Amino acid sequence: MKYILMMTGTKAGVDTYRAWSKKDMETHFAFLKNLNKELSEAGELVANEGLAAPDMAKVVHAGKDGTPATDGVFPEAKEFVLGYWIVDVESPERAYEIAARLSAGPGPGGVPTGLPIEVRQIMGSKHDELP
Amino acid sequence: MNGSKANWDEYAKWSQEDLQRNIAFMRAFSKELRDAGVFVATEGLDWPNEAKTVRAGKDGEPVTDGVFPESKEFLAGYWIIEVESPEQAYKIAARASAAPGPGGKPVNMPIEVRRVLSSASDLGL
Repeated sequence: MKYILMMTGTKAGVDTYRAWSKKDMETHFAFLKNLNKELSEAGELVANEGLAAPDMAKVVHAGKDGTPATDGVFPEAKEFVLGYWIVDVESPERAYEIAARLSAGPGPGGVPTGLPIEVRQIMGSKHDELP
Repeated sequence: MNGSKANWDEYAKWSQEDLQRNIAFMRAFSKELRDAGVFVATEGLDWPNEAKTVRAGKDGEPVTDGVFPESKEFLAGYWIIEVESPEQAYKIAARASAAPGPGGKPVNMPIEVRRVLSSASDLGL
């Protein structure tokens, strides 16, 4: 079963993140690297990406002639994906376990960030009835 | 590609023909991106009514929550593309936004466009 684990946060949350000390950042990235290595060795990691800060995000609609109409103004409370992991696991519970590990990643002073991780199943592993 | 729970309920009411037209478009679109050499990855995600938000509890155990505000936007699917400029990414996003909906009319779904980080230096570290 393939699941996507999306680390989410608001723009304000990302601004807080920018104020972390270099050491806190390094500790956090070392944690993520180790977790990726562990998931990879367990054969559970399918893909992982981090996204650029939300202040560069745009929302695009097709205009009248199919031309791109871009919008870059978002409500302060809008949730953005900061990064994601796709894992191939035996059960939803295992996906939740990995998500909890991510949520417990070290923040300033090594205190867990407690970031919310949205967990969703990837299409195709279940909804095979789609045409 | 984003949508609210209400959008999914709409989608569930599409006719078989409309669904097939939309999926045929998505397949042809992915093939075109592959042929143009800009395609990196794509996935579609399952219905949001099975989505959970997970946080680490006191001892690191998973605490799940599955109740979301009706207006919450969910990711429906994504494409990762490798392009020369943001404008090219916006053009491709507009194509995806114009995918056919009921009766072949463009859905005009909002497509959020973000850059993928290639290294920690992208974060200004």
